Amino acid sequence: MAKVYITGIGLVTSIGNDVPAVAESLRELRHGFEVYAPFQKADVPVKVVGTIKGYETDSYDCEDWRYPSRFAVKREILRGMAPHGLYTYCAMLDAIADARLSTAEVSNRDTGLYAASGGSPHLLGYYLQRMNSLGVMRCSPLGIVASIAGTVNFNLVSHFKIKGASCGFASACASSSHAVGYAFEDIALGRQQRMFVVGAEDGNVESILPFAGMRALSLQANPDLASRPFDLGRDGFVGTGGAAVLVLESEDEVERRGARTYCEVAGWGQASDGYNVAISHPDGDGLRAAMEHALRTTHTEPEAVDYVNAHATSTPIGDISEARALRAVFPESATRPAVSSTKALTGHGLSLAGAMETAFCAVALRDGFIPGSAHLLNLDPACEGLNIIRATLPQAPRVVLNNSSGFGGANVCLVLRRE
Amino acid sequence: MAQASDSNLGAPKAAAVPAKPFSPEDDAYLREVLKRCSAPTYEAASQFRKTRNTEHLPAIVLGIIERYVEPDLRAKLKDPDDDLRLIEDLGIDSLTMMEIVILVEDVLQMSINNEELRHLRTLGDVKQFIDCKVRGLPLPQPTKFLPIEQIASVMPIQPPFLFLNEASVSSQGASAKYRISGQEFFLQGHFKDNPVMPASIMLEALGQLAVLFLLEGGALEPGKVVNPQTIFFTSCEGVRCHRMCRPGDVLVLSIKPKRLKIPLATFEGAIRVGQDKAAIAEEITLTFGYAEAVAVEAGQPPAATGEPASLPTAVNA
Repeated sequence: MAKVYITGIGLVTSIGNDVPAVAESLRELRHGFEVYAPFQKADVPVKVVGTIKGYETDSYDCEDWRYPSRFAVKREILRGMAPHGLYTYCAMLDAIADARLSTAEVSNRDTGLYAASGGSPHLLGYYLQRMNSLGVMRCSPLGIVASIAGTVNFNLVSHFKIKGASCGFASACASSSHAVGYAFEDIALGRQQRMFVVGAEDGNVESILPFAGMRALSLQANPDLASRPFDLGRDGFVGTGGAAVLVLESEDEVERRGARTYCEVAGWGQASDGYNVAISHPDGDGLRAAMEHALRTTHTEPEAVDYVNAHATSTPIGDISEARALRAVFPESATRPAVSSTKALTGHGLSLAGAMETAFCAVALRDGFIPGSAHLLNLDPACEGLNIIRATLPQAPRVVLNNSSGFGGANVCLVLRRE
Repeated sequence: MAQASDSNLGAPKAAAVPAKPFSPEDDAYLREVLKRCSAPTYEAASQFRKTRNTEHLPAIVLGIIERYVEPDLRAKLKDPDDDLRLIEDLGIDSLTMMEIVILVEDVLQMSINNEELRHLRTLGDVKQFIDCKVRGLPLPQPTKFLPIEQIASVMPIQPPFLFLNEASVSSQGASAKYRISGQEFFLQGHFKDNPVMPASIMLEALGQLAVLFLLEGGALEPGKVVNPQTIFFTSCEGVRCHRMCRPGDVLVLSIKPKRLKIPLATFEGAIRVGQDKAAIAEEITLTFGYAEAVAVEAGQPPAATGEPASLPTAVNA
């Protein structure tokens, strides 16, 4: 099996739109939350969002959108994109530049792209409303490719002339971790030499507010308190959007190109709860099994793990499930790894989360630090017995796990390491 | 003008024209949907919606097309030529064409079906199509594009004496390109160490395009088919050459019918190279005859009120 490395990262996130800015936010525990203007209505009890800065994508008309001037995106490209399509396009350009890939290295039979997003309920709603009021023949010709799940892979694969493997993943909040896992496998098995992995979400009214119906969102109006995984006062997650693009390459390609690496993707594991469509297993059964698979298949002893980037979204039930799973996988309290959830800084990116947090772990491995837990004031007693760190630790981790869990009880654990 | 619009309103086929007045809400909507078009586009659309005067249609259609053309190609629309091709010259793909159609439908309050659009190749095709739709007239025969293989298969003239590489033919006329390769046999002697396309051959190329029009243009009597063996040169008038044409030049040829009445067909023709006028012929006349067998399906609607009526349209256009 070929070794697989992360060689490039592109980010559009609530805590920064490039790797240095994001690294600083992670170290300094600087969050990306703001009181979100579209939520400031009497009938909307949710107030805070992890906002994307430097972009304006609220309009239904893509020609009204604003984005950083260093990107120039043609209308014929924008017209088939959702807001998160634009984020991925810009993040993709940054990831390609970060990995120092030539056009030929992006477009060939050995380079593929896996993507995950929830689609764009924002645009889909608008197009359906237009169809219902004006008639079916007045639907925008690109309405479907811009709005349905899969929009990210449709757009990026065509615009970047990707010729290798491509598809989308739909396991909700585990989606882009699944994408990383299968991209790793394609390279490890020699099917592909290089894979782009993309996670993204609009992070606007229509993609976040529907979660209010299942009482999953924090109603906290103070941006400094809204997202606090493992804290006794947590009351739900804070939504966010953006895009994360990872470049995964085989060791042969890394050597041939003389590429700089962030870290190795050592392997992964996945397992399902088989329990409830929307609620995680109370003991974190599936997540525990996913972590155990990941450790076993990468020949990693639990004591060797230095840091776990927890899925913990700041919901009352989910964080406890994960704490139980972690206690089961790491029974020796003296050697338990540092645990934190960077969702305390970014909010929950849904399909974006797995790829974004993999990027965070890769940055922590390269730069040699372990991001702490922002906003954790009173640890929930149900989450005790773990090494949930408060402040950022200056020491370099060697082995890192990144957990993700999605609807239907899908769980993924990715193993990253640096020798 | 007002009378013309009234009569259009009353025309039985003008189903696209609703009789409801142009309200302030309609005006606000029109401004919104045309906000990325030039001011004259909105003005023309507003005038059209108030008066139904079809004289405003070219400005509306051109303005909407311009809005969807990439900015670096818009210069081509400054001095719009009806022969501009939507795909090749303006970079409009089929999806952009749908965006244009939807906006035209919104602005003109009409509906257009896919089948009607399939053959629109040039700016002129689009303008004429919209004009016919709004007036409730039968739709024109679409422009046919013929690559060299197809030209050679229908023409009585064959290589090495065929001087058309590709051609577009509609009921309004025809255009073609010919690239002087330098391998033409006569260039060896015309002239010594100085290859120049003979003027007589340039006139021949225009004549060949007129032959192609007679065979493929569909502008003659319905149900009748021209026999290729019956077409011959008769006369020409007012031929002037303006520019020497040499190997590497691409001749852009165009002809339009002036009079079509068996056994004579008279055309005007022009050749350009890039922006330069290369040659013009005020009149080229060919003689032609119909084939005996006429058992060919006519693509024209059977209810067309006699072809003589459509002929002047062709000549005036």
